[in-house]
Amino acid sequence: MTTTAIPARPRTWPRTLGIVGALAVLTALTATPALGGVEIDLGAIAKNWTNGADRIAQMMTPDLSVLPRTWQPLLETLQMAVVGAAISAALAIPLSMWAARPTNPHTPTRMAVRFVLNMVRAVPDLVYATILVAMVGVGALPGVITLVLFDVGIVVKLVSEAIDSADSAYMEAGRAAGGTQAQINRLTALPQTWPAYVSQVLYSLELNVRISAILGLVGAGGIGRLIDEMRGFYRYDALSTIVLEILIVVVLIELASNVLRKRLR
Amino acid sequence: MSDTLTRSEAGGGTPPASGPWPIELDDVTVRYPNGVVALKNVSLSIAAGEMVAVVGLSGSGKSTMIRTINGLVQPTGGRVTVGPHAVSELRGRALREARGDIGMIFQAFNLADRASVFHNALVGRFAHMPTWRTMLGLASAEDREMVMRSLDSVGMLEKVWHRAGALSGGQKQRVAIARALSQEPAVMLADEPVASLDPPTAHAVMADLEDINASRGLTVLVNLHLMDLARQYTTRMIGLRAGEVVFDGPAATATDADFEAIYGRPVQARDRLGE
Repeated sequence: MTTTAIPARPRTWPRTLGIVGALAVLTALTATPALGGVEIDLGAIAKNWTNGADRIAQMMTPDLSVLPRTWQPLLETLQMAVVGAAISAALAIPLSMWAARPTNPHTPTRMAVRFVLNMVRAVPDLVYATILVAMVGVGALPGVITLVLFDVGIVVKLVSEAIDSADSAYMEAGRAAGGTQAQINRLTALPQTWPAYVSQVLYSLELNVRISAILGLVGAGGIGRLIDEMRGFYRYDALSTIVLEILIVVVLIELASNVLRKRLR
Repeated sequence: MSDTLTRSEAGGGTPPASGPWPIELDDVTVRYPNGVVALKNVSLSIAAGEMVAVVGLSGSGKSTMIRTINGLVQPTGGRVTVGPHAVSELRGRALREARGDIGMIFQAFNLADRASVFHNALVGRFAHMPTWRTMLGLASAEDREMVMRSLDSVGMLEKVWHRAGALSGGQKQRVAIARALSQEPAVMLADEPVASLDPPTAHAVMADLEDINASRGLTVLVNLHLMDLARQYTTRMIGLRAGEVVFDGPAATATDADFEAIYGRPVQARDRLGE
């Protein structure tokens, strides 16, 4: 028999039950058309699935004869992805610093940068691509600009949040030594932020390959142009070859970035 | 350049541009926006070249007081003067220039862990180098020389290209001291510099501060909560309790009763560091 007085364990189940219940109610509400929820007709799957089934069957047998035609657009996609990531990476360094509180204590400018970036992020990438194709013409250029806008939006958001949540006691030392905010950011905040920054830039490179597959649909260059063409001719067997190619490229980029990230620790 | 530096050359140190400075606090009050009054009508006069301990429990206002001296905290009332600078009235560039003449070290060292020891110490040159030089990463030969000398004087020169985060606690605080010395300051502030260190390292760092006061002739103000360190290393002791000065006298002869008045409770074993 132990005589140690164990403090009463706080009862947490009523709270847990409340949270789970609230989530269940919310889910039910969003799926109720009468209340303005989304309309989900499960019956439609049963009715129409045969329409898609033969396409899926066709995709299961990739037609490799399309491969020679894919090299050039695939290379263009990779070029767009790399150039887009590189330009956005350069822009993201000062923008991330301006968007984070420790590196920019001046609230009005910080809020202004954040507001503009929220606007940039709010516009879907296909909308950028469509407008830019109309402005600068069909080709890789509107695609690259679209990728830069998209990448800047996410890299700056994620990196500035990393700066916000990181310990920034070293800044007090820079301030005590009479440094300007720019000096402190350049000499100390930059190396402190490097791992988060490189990590997000690599992630944006990976996203770029996926996105530029879509951008070709509106004429913004890359392998998407070929995807659109194959889809138009109902060549689902050739389509699956291209999808596999994109998958391989994305996996290769991910493997490479994992190696780089480990070396940065 | 750095290889030709010898210990004796750097050990003496370059004297600050304008000698040690006195520090004056005249009726200084600090009221934080949340209503807490951290300092109440504190008036102090510290002579040039003095070695002063500020003793008090955490929350006594000693961190706030030391930060009013370099303007990291602006007093809501009263006046702070350090040598020729009316610190509490300065803003912007003038405040940064004043801070450039006042070195400071911290309990948590406040180093950028991923930056090299060199770049951390170069932070001490901020007020002396144009911003464009910092932005381009181009330190002048003079700045480099100053940083190397400072690192050498605390025995950290051989670690100059190491990452700061890879150092031990004592080494980090030495780099932080070198960062402050790179400023060629006239005054050195230390906010609980040994509270994160083990006893032997703590004594070594206190000895470094003592040396900065003795051989470089800097005015040194060090926040401590341990009574034996105050008695051993400083000549004058200021006791703070709830934002008010409750003791001001020679550190060596301060009695246990004096410390009890500062702490507001009986002296305990943890109020001493020991050997």
